[in-house]
Amino acid sequence: MTATETTDDDIRQLRSALRGVLGTADPDAVPVPDPDWRAGWPTLAELGLTAFCVPEEKDGYGMQSAVAAGAAQELGAALHGSPFAGLTAAAHALAGSDRPEAGEVLARVVAGETVCAFGVFDAAAGRAWIVDGVPGAEALVLLDPATGGATLLADSTTWSVDVPADRFDVSRASAAVVVDASQGLALGAASVALDLHRLLLAADAVGCVQRMIDRTVTYAGQRIAFGKPIGGFQAVQHRLADHAVRARGMALVVAEAATLLDAGSDDATRQVAIAAVSVHGNSVRILHDLLQLTGGIGFTWEYGLHFYERRAHHDARLAGGSRAAVRSLVGIEGWS
Amino acid sequence: MAVDIDAYRAEVRAFIAERGVPMSREGVRVPVDTDEERRFRDWLGALYESRYLGGGWPVEWGGRPDHLPMYDLILMQELILGGAYRPLDQVMLAAHAIVEFGTQAQKQEYLPKIRSGEHVWCQLFSEPDAGSDLVALRTKAVADGDDFLVTGQKIWSTDAQWADMGVLLARTNPEERHAGVTAFVVPMDLPGIEVRPIREMTGLAEFCEVFLDEVRLGPEHVLGEVNGGWKLVTSGLASERAFVGANSVQLERLFDDLVALASTARLPDGSLAVGHEDVQQQLAQALAKVEEVKLITRDTVDRIFRDEEHPSDGPVAKLAYTEMNVELCEMALELITSSVSIDEAGREVAERWHHNFLWSRALTISGGASEIMRGLIGRQLLGLPRA
Repeated sequence: MTATETTDDDIRQLRSALRGVLGTADPDAVPVPDPDWRAGWPTLAELGLTAFCVPEEKDGYGMQSAVAAGAAQELGAALHGSPFAGLTAAAHALAGSDRPEAGEVLARVVAGETVCAFGVFDAAAGRAWIVDGVPGAEALVLLDPATGGATLLADSTTWSVDVPADRFDVSRASAAVVVDASQGLALGAASVALDLHRLLLAADAVGCVQRMIDRTVTYAGQRIAFGKPIGGFQAVQHRLADHAVRARGMALVVAEAATLLDAGSDDATRQVAIAAVSVHGNSVRILHDLLQLTGGIGFTWEYGLHFYERRAHHDARLAGGSRAAVRSLVGIEGWS
Repeated sequence: MAVDIDAYRAEVRAFIAERGVPMSREGVRVPVDTDEERRFRDWLGALYESRYLGGGWPVEWGGRPDHLPMYDLILMQELILGGAYRPLDQVMLAAHAIVEFGTQAQKQEYLPKIRSGEHVWCQLFSEPDAGSDLVALRTKAVADGDDFLVTGQKIWSTDAQWADMGVLLARTNPEERHAGVTAFVVPMDLPGIEVRPIREMTGLAEFCEVFLDEVRLGPEHVLGEVNGGWKLVTSGLASERAFVGANSVQLERLFDDLVALASTARLPDGSLAVGHEDVQQQLAQALAKVEEVKLITRDTVDRIFRDEEHPSDGPVAKLAYTEMNVELCEMALELITSSVSIDEAGREVAERWHHNFLWSRALTISGGASEIMRGLIGRQLLGLPRA
């Protein structure tokens, strides 16, 4: 992959390589959440996963959110434990600072040695309510929506996990943290990092939905009832067709938002909000209907469909839900 | 060779602004009187003459040697943006069927008359008991020497009341299904043909019933081979394929209309609908979905331009567009029901929505109902078994 020009083919190749590493190359493979994901993280860093949105002069690939979005879909499909969306947003914010401390943390993040979490700071409460990547991260980048500025907390003694991690999503960590913000290092404006975070969370959920549609289609083609595959019944087939069309639309709005973000377009924030409304308003609903179509087997822990529902729900939660995106869109469109 | 697309678009736009005949409502194409009919025919003739329409035909029949599928898309986009009367799809399909399956004599007879606007064509396909399941058609064409005597009933024939010609599907072999169907070209003024317009729920009559009673057709009317008519249905004649891309323009316009409606409709407490959170939420969700459909459409058109179309692309694009169209109309109607006053300008908008709402179902039923599209997507895209 070159840093300057990335084609759809490059992204396809990267995604294919990622599936090899993540164990999802076989469409029938059933991933399970892996709490030891850190062991393999340096390998994924070598594939470029930590530096898609870090400038070339800081050993990154420039602004490649379209590539990052492709990777996020694969990580979602694989139920990967990394806070990829948060880490990518944090790395982008770190790269925007000239302070040597920020550069040091960034270098370790790019190398896959350090994991940096990302969240939104509530200054009045002295907390970040839901941080992508905590516990487990060594560093923390928090965005203050009041100022649009980001703060680096490189010393893990300057924050503590306040509320035990929400374990509805069993594949990734996140938690509320109490922060001593005075200990932080100001990084400067980071609105792009916030867009990036939201984009990649949406992409993650699209990866979840697509993988489970594929799996349910396979199941519906094999499971026999009343003498024929259930996928031959219109009640099943037509719903799968609707979901497939919707999933294509979701993937395309995510890709479009990434393209605008990479181009530095003024419309990027709007397009990210559109992607978030589209994805977070529908991903869990579609997955929950796939569970209905999968019947009793889908209801078991082992079948694993629930891991994707949990994860897609959590993607939405980390992004503030479709409601936050709706409010953002309403503001941008000037509806009042 | 680089083509200046912007210049071409500007040229088409100027042409439409200068010559275009306005389109009164979505889906309304039957002229109200002979004056309007002359204007419609002149306009269709002008479109073909300029080769903005039918540029993709074989050059010997009037196409342009340097035609690009992009030109078709530009034409349809500009017609929609300009609010101009649009080419009739049944005429375009007839033209492509004649180009593909017609004899030299048929081409010489009919193609120039299509291009001049002299001939409007309709389709005599559907029957009361053969709609989505078209192959169930029973209108029979019985051999009588070299001729055929056609008897039966057709329905949902758009434009039949002013069409000069029809493409007919009739059963020439009752023992076969697909292999027993023959296509004919039919002058609509032949003895034994009776056309009855159907008044639809919109209050208009765009579709017709056509009764055929021992209509005598000669061998010169057979289009393609006897018992080979089903090819017309399956050969993907959908000629100006890139037209599908114009659906994006249509949806954008509808969405803008929806926002305009929300911005003028007052609720009983005097506030504007658009100021309310629930309305804003609906608009935001609609905007996101419109964007999905626009991008699905663009993706489809990109593949058409690259000649990499997948068989399921058409069904996906049709289902996504037509269903979204219904959804937007439903939202608009819901807004209208909850408002007590719509200002003078808004009344025209509301009337348009009432029509669009009713008309939106024509699009999810005709040209392959949504249920047929879902079946095609299930089989062709997802690889599921036939239902």
